[in-house]
Amino acid sequence: MSQLLSFALPGVPYGCVFALMAVGLVLTYKASGVFNLAFGAQAFVSALTYVSLIDGGWPRWAAAVIAVLVIGPVVGILLDRLLFRRIRTASPLVTLVPSLGLLVALPQVAIMVVGSIPVIPPPALVGNAQRVYLHLGSVPVSGLELSVTGATLVVVAGLVALFRFTPVGLEMRAVVESPRLTELAGIDSSRIGLAAWILSSVLAGLAGVLLAPLYAQVDPQNFTVLLVWGIAGAVIGRFTSLPLALVGGLALGIGQQILAGYLPPGVVANGLRPSLPFFVLLIFLPLVGTSRATDPLAGCDPPTSAVERAVSGYRSGATAAAGGSWESLAGGAVTSVGVWHRRLDGAAPTPLADRFTRRPTATLALVVGVVAVISALTWVPPDWLFTMNQALAVSIIFLSLTLLTGMSGLISLCQATFAGLGGFVAGQLAVHFGLPVMIGVIAGGLLAALLGVVVAIPTLRLAGLSLALATLAFALLADNILFPVSWVGNGAGGVTVPRPSAGPISFAAAKPFFLLSLVVLGGAALVVKLVGDGTMGRYLAAVRGSELASSSVGIDVTRLRVLVFAISAGLAGVGGAMSGSLEGSLSPDAYGYQVSIVLLAVVAIVGIGSISGAIVAGVVYEVLQQAVTTLPARFAGLVAVLFGLAALSYTRHPEGFLDVLGGRAERVIERARNRRATARQGSGSVPPPTGGPVVAQAGGMS
Amino acid sequence: MTAPNLTAPNLMVVTDLTKRFGGLVALDAVSLQVRAGEAVGVIGPNGAGKSTLFNCLSGLESPDAGTVIFCGRRIDRMAAWRRSRLGIGRTFQRLELFEGMTVADHLLVAEQAHTGTVRIWRDLLHRGGPSPAELDHVRQVLGLLGLDDVADQPVATLDLGRARLVELGRALMGAPRLLLLDEPSSGLDVADTRRLAETLADVRQRSGVAVVLVEHDLDLIHAVVDHLVVLDLGRVLADGPTVEVLADPEVRRAYLGALA
Repeated sequence: MSQLLSFALPGVPYGCVFALMAVGLVLTYKASGVFNLAFGAQAFVSALTYVSLIDGGWPRWAAAVIAVLVIGPVVGILLDRLLFRRIRTASPLVTLVPSLGLLVALPQVAIMVVGSIPVIPPPALVGNAQRVYLHLGSVPVSGLELSVTGATLVVVAGLVALFRFTPVGLEMRAVVESPRLTELAGIDSSRIGLAAWILSSVLAGLAGVLLAPLYAQVDPQNFTVLLVWGIAGAVIGRFTSLPLALVGGLALGIGQQILAGYLPPGVVANGLRPSLPFFVLLIFLPLVGTSRATDPLAGCDPPTSAVERAVSGYRSGATAAAGGSWESLAGGAVTSVGVWHRRLDGAAPTPLADRFTRRPTATLALVVGVVAVISALTWVPPDWLFTMNQALAVSIIFLSLTLLTGMSGLISLCQATFAGLGGFVAGQLAVHFGLPVMIGVIAGGLLAALLGVVVAIPTLRLAGLSLALATLAFALLADNILFPVSWVGNGAGGVTVPRPSAGPISFAAAKPFFLLSLVVLGGAALVVKLVGDGTMGRYLAAVRGSELASSSVGIDVTRLRVLVFAISAGLAGVGGAMSGSLEGSLSPDAYGYQVSIVLLAVVAIVGIGSISGAIVAGVVYEVLQQAVTTLPARFAGLVAVLFGLAALSYTRHPEGFLDVLGGRAERVIERARNRRATARQGSGSVPPPTGGPVVAQAGGMS
Repeated sequence: MTAPNLTAPNLMVVTDLTKRFGGLVALDAVSLQVRAGEAVGVIGPNGAGKSTLFNCLSGLESPDAGTVIFCGRRIDRMAAWRRSRLGIGRTFQRLELFEGMTVADHLLVAEQAHTGTVRIWRDLLHRGGPSPAELDHVRQVLGLLGLDDVADQPVATLDLGRARLVELGRALMGAPRLLLLDEPSSGLDVADTRRLAETLADVRQRSGVAVVLVEHDLDLIHAVVDHLVVLDLGRVLADGPTVEVLADPEVRRAYLGALA
């Protein structure tokens, strides 16, 4: 018993912090309809403020007050006003991407503002962190544990009082229960939403300040991990119950320490503890009711916003834009090679030349592409050629998201895990078994596909946010259990991946490798295109539209979903293997869960609905990173800032900036062309403008 | 209204179907038969278990007890997509359309899904397009329902009456033997409802499909249905020829009391 206590007690401060996070997440989720993944970043900002102020000579209490009660709410209110307020009714992807972007960008921005992370160990809120103040039985209790537990108790008491005895608390509970019913009762739910937002930001700040002393230094990564634990707590509370979330967080903190105490040390034990959130999510997420089940007004949803309609369609805008007429079908042969948004009727494709004159941006893209390839093979300096190579490899990984998230509406936050596995397999096979690297790349893709199946099966019943969170937790699990193993990712050592060769032809040099990557990327793009155009793409669009109706027309949704996960994971694996082969080695860090977050956000911002979106995303992603290295060191955070701004603007253009720019360019060119045509012919046979894709227009309106 | 064919074989036999949600008994030992080509109406007050019955028949929910036999096969434990391929099509009371897809694509998906699972290898060889026969069938159903002029429009642009027709058309693909229609007239005005009745009669005459119709609109029931089942609180209150059932005093008390 005292052994159990000695294991459990060190878990209490963690549990307290997790509980605060969980409560804050539930509060904002229910009050504002947004699952705020930037919550971890908010906690970090407060923690950084706290430590920096102390480093600057402030007393601890003053630093804590500024960090928790000033900075916390200010950041929270800014986020609410600038962002979350606008996306309350949007689709899961539209609410997720900005908060994911902020989760990554906000800490970097904060570090830039402060200058650098102070190297002092963060002190506890009160008392001496290390000193033992009392014993519970035979278990010593340190100042750190006392201060965290004490602060949490005070906060919980305050929360109980707020919710029990104040009108604002009552209204907040009502909003959490059902925002719309509360509105009908004459309460301004957005005002209450703001109150809930401020309150939760204070909780995030407090969690940050309390968590900071548990680690040697303030590090953004710890706060993302904290976020995942908080999410697990919130899921135990089914995203609705504040007391259950509190208890859940506490139980997780204590549970993980008990687990650590009883499990034998070693890779698996060390990995199993941080993976606890994954199992909790897997068990509890299916129990989370949809809003339909809990909100009595869910049946009378308001019409979908323009934003939502705009992103609902990998195909939606496409079918209208393609302008193929069902009437004119006359049983044409199905040979529409090259028409991305294939006509539904399989009518004869527009002649190639015709298509390019009609879609001027396509011509532009072709020219840019050809120039880029020729440049890469002639005058581009080696470091930039390397960047171009990286862009090709990462584009393959982005394509895997085009298929999975863009086409199928399945949000995955573990694509980097698949990519990493592909790379490790290629390297291990080449180094240990002497297999040709190209065989290794294929094997890597196949094994990643298998891992995709492994992820798909337990998450079959999850969708939207739940699926995103489950895959995020899976990425964390892989980071902790799979990648440290010597015959997979080999921990910090990483894995060597040689450059491939085929018989006498070696792809070791940069230019041949560039050509090889180009071919592999082309193959990946072709797979995505064929799948999207074929029966599978149509089924995927149907399932995205309505899973119930899909199964009632005979679509085996389970099989379809496992299949699309496998193909997507396989593509990511091939991309990861190519990337590893390019770099020469691969470390698990390069494919941690944070990378998955960044990948999804980047491709969504650029354009997750098309193949060109994935390729442009790859180029932008790598070129920006390379460009920053040429700038002075203090601009190192610039990419993060840009990324954050792009994530913010994403809510206005959820179809991606590529489509927006493309649509604009097309309209400009078309107008100019029409003007020229009318000038030349007077009144004549000017073809009516076909207009940009519907998606782009919808985005332009909002 | 066609005369009920009492000699036709049973297409579906439901025996003692029971479904509970926690303490609530949504279906309490419901039994009913549907003969080939027959149209059966199901009426009952809100909460009588009509939609639960449909969900249990089409496979979206699994019953706690009882059997469903369709074409001689037991289907009560079968996945929804398998039942669909056996020949059960359905519509939804609350529209479940594939948002973003065109009308024609709705029918095409249903047609292709009916004949097989994902043809991934054919897709990858660029042979995944619709076959002429599939396109032909889609065109036929579009014509039957009068949807030709909106075939290329995204479903979001349709009015409710047409949207319900798209659901009907989707359920008709793959030549089903049984259609489960869940309040197809809800939200429609009188003219649209009358048109729906005509369309249904037309469909039945051409394809010989059997229909189970959950409906509140008694005019539509009268126009379409041969025999009527009354559900109340999960139990079958009455089951017989439409006119007789509607004349039954107990039915009038339980269901029509407010109307009579």
